[in-house]
Amino acid sequence: MIPDLAPLWLSARLALLTTLILLVVGVPLAGWLAHRRSPLKPLVETLVSMPLVLPPSVLGFYLLLFLSPTGSLGGWLRETLGLQLVFSFPGLVLGSVLFSLPFMVQPVAAALAAQPASLREAAWTLGRSRLGTFVAVELPGVRAALAAGAVMSFAHTVGEFGLVLMIGGNIPGVTQVASIAVYQQVEQMNYPAAHVYAGILCGFAFSVVLLVNLLRRYADRHGANP
Amino acid sequence: MKKTLLCTLLALLPLVASASPVKVAVAANMQYAFEDIAKAFTHDTGVAVQPSYSSSGKFATQVMAGAPFELFLSADNTFPQKLQAAGFAANAPKTYAIGTLVLWSLDSGFDGKNWHSWLKTASGKVAVANPQTAPYGTEAMHALNYYHLRDSVLPRLVTGDSIGQTAQFVASGAAQAGFVAKSQVVSAQMKGQGHWVELPQESHDPIVQDMVLLKPSTANPDAKRLFDYLQSPAARAILQSYGYRLP
Repeated sequence: MIPDLAPLWLSARLALLTTLILLVVGVPLAGWLAHRRSPLKPLVETLVSMPLVLPPSVLGFYLLLFLSPTGSLGGWLRETLGLQLVFSFPGLVLGSVLFSLPFMVQPVAAALAAQPASLREAAWTLGRSRLGTFVAVELPGVRAALAAGAVMSFAHTVGEFGLVLMIGGNIPGVTQVASIAVYQQVEQMNYPAAHVYAGILCGFAFSVVLLVNLLRRYADRHGANP
Repeated sequence: MKKTLLCTLLALLPLVASASPVKVAVAANMQYAFEDIAKAFTHDTGVAVQPSYSSSGKFATQVMAGAPFELFLSADNTFPQKLQAAGFAANAPKTYAIGTLVLWSLDSGFDGKNWHSWLKTASGKVAVANPQTAPYGTEAMHALNYYHLRDSVLPRLVTGDSIGQTAQFVASGAAQAGFVAKSQVVSAQMKGQGHWVELPQESHDPIVQDMVLLKPSTANPDAKRLFDYLQSPAARAILQSYGYRLP
């Protein structure tokens, strides 16, 4: 029996979008954390890592309050942009970006910090701008960490449950992602459908962890951090 | 000194010796009323109660998977019947209350008299409990059908995991309106927040709420005492004060 595959596609779309946004937002943040000696740095590092230890229900609770149309941020968004984020796909994207942030930022920041300063200093003396050096010299050197960060962000978003349960509202095709669909099918004692979703997710998780391990070995062997 | 210690130990003895608390699976709509009932029961009998709150369908699944609940207060009469038919019950289900479905909103524009047209033209999300596992959600869908509101509301429908989460969606303002239990909106926690209207009884099937003793209760006679207590005048008065009708 093949159940509705929409939740799996939805999870994939959510994870892909989250990963892309994290590449755009998380990589510059990782660069800042790796190189700047700002007094704010420990604070930012802590904030970035907090989703690792925070129960998803805490994040879900705050997001629900902030984003609800009567909430502070949610009210402003609705007034100015006509946007409602709770119970919507963009709302899940926002939650996922916050929730998966450390999975992108931490490995990339660590790999960037491990690069010798002489590398980028050489590029600067050769006339490269700071941004040019970052993009053309530093990032290619940490491509394995970038790939691992992207894969882990993607996978972590697919595995998200508590946050989506709290701000999603279980709407088929909009917020009913694969993890929620499993939960829903189990509750309805529809085990065959639950098995299909759960089996696919198991296969996916296995592939992801395998891929990350291979990336790590590739990085070790080819000296991605010269 | 020795005497004091002995006295302290003796004073603690009843706590150690007392039987284990009655483990009750309580449908989320009953949360507030049951808290009061449990308090009264413990006060009258000295027996502690250990309630869990969730949707009825979830509890039915958990009981069938071997959950150690001794008493189950459902939000309908089908889940207890199913449990009895499957051999998980220790006695026949008994109706303890009849629930009242309300539409609740914090929106200042909510008009209790013309709620059909308000709901039709409102743009915000409408929360219901999961119709598959929460009986109040099932009846909310029946009511939407009855008033031909299904087509206009369906695209704005969000589903709470239980009637408790549904109420929380409304209370946080995340949903503009929601179908919840009257017992929730009259509770001390939610009283005076927003406006609500009772859904007429002809718009949906009556929410007949049954309870049933489960197999693990045979080892704990206090479970049967709570089962009986729920039919006592004291418990019925509490149920009535939370907007339930009585069997």
